[in-house]
Amino acid sequence: MPSADQSSTPPAVELRKIDKSFYGVLANADVDFNLARGEVHTLLGENGAGKSTLCSVMAGLYRPDSGEMLMDGSPIVLKSPKAALAAGIGMVYQHFRLVSNLTVAENLALGNPEVGLRLSQSELEAEARELGERYDFPVDPTARIWQLSVGQQQRVEILKLLYRDVRILILDEPTAVLTPQEGQALFRAMRTLADEGRSLIFVSHKLHEVKQVSDRVTVLREGRVVGNVDTADAEPRDLARMMVGKDLVLPTRAPNESIGDPVLVVKDLNVQDDRGLDAVDGLSITVNAGEVVGIAGVSGNGQRELAQGIVGLMKVTGGSVHLQGKDITGTTPLKSIKAGIAYVPQSRLGMGLAPGLDTDDNLALKQFREPPYSKGPMLSQKAFKTKGAELIEEFDVRGVRPGLPIRLLSGGNLQKALIAREVTQDHCVLIARSPTRGLDVGATAVVRDQILAERDRGIAVLLISEDLDELLALSDRLLVIYEGQIVGEMPASEATAERLGLLMSGHSEEQSA
Amino acid sequence: MSRRFIVEPRGLAPWWLKLLIPIGSVVAAMILGAVFLAITGNDWVEVYQKMADAAFGSGRGFAETLVSATPLILTGVAAAIAFKMLVWNIGGEGQLIFGAIVAAGVGIWLADSTPQIIAVVAVVIAGAIGGAFWASLAAVPRVYLGTNEIITTLMLNFIALNLMQYLVLGSSSPWRDPEATQFPQGRPILDAGRIPEFFHRLDWGLFIAIGVAVIAWFVISKTRSGFEYRIVGDSFDAARYAGIKVPKKVLGTFLFSGAAAGLAGSILVAGILGKMDPRSLDLGLGFTGIIVAALARLNPIAIIPVAVLMGALNNAGPALQSIGVPSATVKILQGAILIFAVAGEFLISNRIHRPDPIAGEAKAEPEAQAA
Amino acid sequence: MNESVLMLTIMAGIGLGTPLVFGTVGEILTERSGILNLGVQGMMLFGAVMGFWATFVSGSLWLGVIAALLAGAGMSLIHAFNSITLRVSQIVSGLALTIFGTGVAVYIGKAGSDPLIGQPSKAVFEPIFPEAVADLPIVGPLIFGHDALIYLSWIIVASASYYLFRTRPGLTVRAVGEDPASAEAAGINVSKVRYVHVMLGGALAGLGGAYFSLALVPSWQDNPIGQAGWIAIALVILASWRPWRALWVAYLFGVAGRLNFTFQTLEINVPATLLDMLPFLLAIIAMIVLTSGKRARFLGAPAALGIPYFREER
Repeated sequence: MPSADQSSTPPAVELRKIDKSFYGVLANADVDFNLARGEVHTLLGENGAGKSTLCSVMAGLYRPDSGEMLMDGSPIVLKSPKAALAAGIGMVYQHFRLVSNLTVAENLALGNPEVGLRLSQSELEAEARELGERYDFPVDPTARIWQLSVGQQQRVEILKLLYRDVRILILDEPTAVLTPQEGQALFRAMRTLADEGRSLIFVSHKLHEVKQVSDRVTVLREGRVVGNVDTADAEPRDLARMMVGKDLVLPTRAPNESIGDPVLVVKDLNVQDDRGLDAVDGLSITVNAGEVVGIAGVSGNGQRELAQGIVGLMKVTGGSVHLQGKDITGTTPLKSIKAGIAYVPQSRLGMGLAPGLDTDDNLALKQFREPPYSKGPMLSQKAFKTKGAELIEEFDVRGVRPGLPIRLLSGGNLQKALIAREVTQDHCVLIARSPTRGLDVGATAVVRDQILAERDRGIAVLLISEDLDELLALSDRLLVIYEGQIVGEMPASEATAERLGLLMSGHSEEQSA
Repeated sequence: MSRRFIVEPRGLAPWWLKLLIPIGSVVAAMILGAVFLAITGNDWVEVYQKMADAAFGSGRGFAETLVSATPLILTGVAAAIAFKMLVWNIGGEGQLIFGAIVAAGVGIWLADSTPQIIAVVAVVIAGAIGGAFWASLAAVPRVYLGTNEIITTLMLNFIALNLMQYLVLGSSSPWRDPEATQFPQGRPILDAGRIPEFFHRLDWGLFIAIGVAVIAWFVISKTRSGFEYRIVGDSFDAARYAGIKVPKKVLGTFLFSGAAAGLAGSILVAGILGKMDPRSLDLGLGFTGIIVAALARLNPIAIIPVAVLMGALNNAGPALQSIGVPSATVKILQGAILIFAVAGEFLISNRIHRPDPIAGEAKAEPEAQAA
Repeated sequence: MNESVLMLTIMAGIGLGTPLVFGTVGEILTERSGILNLGVQGMMLFGAVMGFWATFVSGSLWLGVIAALLAGAGMSLIHAFNSITLRVSQIVSGLALTIFGTGVAVYIGKAGSDPLIGQPSKAVFEPIFPEAVADLPIVGPLIFGHDALIYLSWIIVASASYYLFRTRPGLTVRAVGEDPASAEAAGINVSKVRYVHVMLGGALAGLGGAYFSLALVPSWQDNPIGQAGWIAIALVILASWRPWRALWVAYLFGVAGRLNFTFQTLEINVPATLLDMLPFLLAIIAMIVLTSGKRARFLGAPAALGIPYFREER
C-alpha cells in the first residue's frame, strides 16, 4: 500500500494538463494524472477513451502537444522510449515486441546497452531465472518465444523491464490475453513490485479486476478525466456510469411491428481463434426476419470468430448454424454469399474491399459472377460502370474517380460503398461488425439509416459492435458477449448503457455491486 | 530523409509518369553506357549507331530483331502474369528449357509422315505443357506447403540447364544427334514440325507470341476469371471474402506462367533452331524476360514493344564485335535499364516534396494510435 | 598417401569450395539481416575481374584482394539502396545486378587495347607453409597445405559464427532479420544494420570471385566462376544460415565439382552434368523439407527475409 505520508513525497509520475491529438482528432484533453510511489493505479475507460495514448506519452512514444510531465517532482521531457527506459519508465504494450524465433534470454538482451559486447548466454539465463523467481514469475530462459503461451510471453515483456530496473511500469490491458489463473499470478506479482517501492499503472476495462489489484482508479472518457477515486471507495456501478457516460436518451424509433420467423439460428457454436483457443464457446443466438439483434461486447471476446465462423471464413469446431432452416454449418464463403448472407466485416480495407482495385470493381466484388456483371465467362465493363454509378449516386459515395484505388477514399465513403454493395445484393441476413466505427456524422447517419431500412425490408440483421450508442440506436434486442458466450439478453426498451457496461466488463447481473 | 523532403505514397500516378519512367530508364541506361564506353576508350556515338543499324537498319536486321524478340515476349508475359499475382516465378529459364526438351522430344518421336498441321501443333503445345510441368515442381510446394518459390524456381533453372546438357552432350539419349560431327548437337526434329519462316529467318512463331500476350491481356481485363485473378493479386483476404479459392488461383497462375515460358522454348525449337541446340537456348532468355516484364510494368501489351527493344539490343551485341567492342556492352545496358526501372518504380509509387508549413490534410486517424 | 586419389580430391575440393565459402558466408550475413541478394553471381564475377585487374596492374595480390572487396561492396551498395531505402522488389534488384555485373565483368575483360582476356595472372596465391611441413602425412596437406585465402576463409567462418551467435551486435542482426518492428522498438536502427550486412555480403562475394581469378583459374576468361554465385545462394539454405555448416557444405560441393575429374581418373562413368545438378537439387529438397511447417522454426530462414521494412511514422 502507498505510504500514509503521501503529501510530502512527490508522486513518482505526474501529468499536468496533457493534450494530445492526431491529425486533428483529440485523443487526450487537459489530463491531470498522478501516480504515487509504491502504488498500483488503474486507468479505466472504454476503447477510444484515450488510455493507450496517455500511457504512450508517459512511455516516451509520443510527445504531448501541450502540458508537462514530472517525475519525482522534477519536470522531464522524454524524447523516445529509449530515453524513457533510461529514466526508469517502461511499458508492456498490448502487441508484444518480442522476436519470436529468439530465446527469452536473447530477447532480454536485445537493445539493452548494459549487456556487454560479448553475449554470455549463461549469465543472461541466470539473471532471467533469478528475476523470474523473485516475482514468482518463472520463465525458461532457453525457450524460444513462439514456444511460450501468451501469458508467459507477457511475463517476458515484464521481465525485460525489470531487467532494466524500471521503477514505473505501465501495463496496457495485460489481462486481455490471460486466463483467470494467469491473471491472478500477474496481480500477485504486481503487488510484490508495488511493495518494493515501484509504481504501476494498470490499464483495463474490466471492472472486477480494478477492485482486486489497484489502490486508486482514474476513469477516462473521450480523452478527458472524469473521475479519480480510491478503489476502496469505488462502486462498480459508479465506475461503469463514469466509463460510458450518463444513460443515453434513446432516439425515437418506431418499434418494428412485424418481426417474422427465425432466419439465422446459431446453436452451441464453437469457433477457435488463430491461437487454437476457443474464442466462441458454446454460443447460441437467433435472429428473426425484420429484427435487429445487437451484440455488445469489448473487442476480443469472440466477435470476430463468431461472424467469420457463420460466414465460413473461419472453421467451426462445434455446434450448428442454420439459415432459413437449412444447415449451413461450416459453409464456404462462396456458398454463404449465394445462400444470402451479407457481411460487413470490421476490416473494411483488406477484407471487405480490395484496396488496390477501383470503386466499380469493389462494388462488383460479390456479384460479378452473375448478370449483368458477367455474361458467361465475359465481363461487361459497361455493367460495372453503370451499376457502379447507380450505387455511388444512391449511397452518396464521394471522391470516386475512374481507376482510383479505393483505399484512397475517406473512411466514410469506404463504408458507404461497402454497405451499398452488401445491402443491394440478394440476401436475407446482414451481419455487420462495428459499421459506424471511425465515421463522421454524415456517414454514420447514412449507415444507420441503411441498417434500419434493412430491418424494415424484413432482413434479419445481426449487429456486432462495441459502440453502445450505435447498438442502442438500432437494435430491437440486445445481447452481450463476454469470453465467447452470451452473458445477458434484454429487449431494447430495458437496455441501459449502465447495464450493458456492467455485463461487457464481465460483471454478472446477479452479483450485487 | 524526412528532414528536408517528405516521401509519401502516391494515390494514382499520372499516366504520363508511367510512360516516362520506363523510357527514362532506357535513356538513363544509355547515358550510363555512353559514359562507360567513353571511359574505356570507345566512341559511344559509333557504338550506338552500329547497334541501331544492326537492329533496324536493314530488312534482315529487323527480322533478326523480331526473331530475338519472339521468345522474350513469351518469357516477359510469363514473368508479368506471375509477378502481378505476387508469385515470384524466376524460373522462366528452366521452364523454357524444359519446354524445349519436351518439344524436341515430341518432334523427334513423331513419324516423318505426320501432317504438318498436327506436327507443328503437337511440338508447340508439348513445349507449353513441359513448361507448365516444370513450373509445377515449384508451384505445388508453394501452394500446398507454403514453400517460398523464389529459391525453388531459381534452382530449377540450373537443373533444367544441366538436364539439357546431359541429354545432348553427356549421353546417348534420343535427343542427341548421332550424326553431329564437330560438337554434340540436338537431333533435328521432323521437317513437318517446323514452323515456316516468312521474312528472312522470322517465322510465324512471332504471331503465336503476340497472340499469347494479347490473350493474356484479354483474359485479365475482360473475363470473369481474370477479374478473380486481379482480386487475388490485390488482397488474399478480400479474395477469400469474395468467395474465391485462392490456392487454386495461385496454382493456375504459376502453371500458366510456366506454360508461356515453355512455349518460348518450343517455338525456338520448332522455329529457327529446328533442334534442341544448347548454346542457342542457354541465353538467359528467362531472366531477360523478367527485365522486359519489369520495364513494361507488368502490362502484357506493353511487353510487345519492350521485347522488341530488348531483341534489338540482343541482336546488336554480336555486331559490336566487328568494331572491336565487347558484345557484353549489351548486357551492361540491359542490366542498367532494369536497375533504373526498378528504382524508378519508387517514383511512381511515391511522391517527394518539401514539407508544407500548413498542417497536412486531416485523414482518418491512425487506428493503432487511438485510445 | 598424400598423393592418393582421395587426398587429391579432398584438397582440390577445398580449393574449389573456398569461393563458395566466401560467397555463402557473405550471403548468410546479408540474409540474416533480412535482405535477399540474388545478385551474388554478378558481384562475384565483378570481384573476380577487378581483383584480377588490380593484381595485373600492380603485381600485388593483396591489392587485388582489396580491389575485389571494394568491387563487391560497391555493387552491393546499389542493391542495398534499392532494397532498404527505396524498398523496391529485392528479387528484381538482385537479378538486375547479376545481369549488370556479369556484363561489366565480361566487358572489362575484353576492353582496351590490351585486354585481360587470355592473359595469365601476374601473381597467384600459393601455399604459405614450407614444403617440409606440408609433406607430413595427411595432416600436412589438410592443415598446412593451403594458401592464405583459404586460411582467411577459415578465420572468416569462425568469426562470422562467433559474431552471430555470441555477441550482442550479432544478436542485433538476427533480431533485425526476424522481426524488424520489434528490433526497432528496442531502439535498433534497422536500416543501418541492413546496409552494413548487405555490403559485407557483397564484399565477401567479391572476394570469392577473386579466389577464382587469383588462385584457381590460370588466366582470365569470360566466366571463370561458373555458377558459383548461384550455388552459394543455394548453399545458404543447405547450411541453415549458419557459417560453420556453410564451410562443410561448400567443401562438399567443391569435392562434388572435382568428382568429375576424379571419376575419370578412376574410370567410373558418371555424367558430369548430373553431378553439376546436385547442389541445386539438394537445395530444393532442403527448402521444401526445412522451411515447411514446424521445422521452419528450427532450421529455417530469418522470418523477415525478403520483406521490405516500412518504419512506422511517429
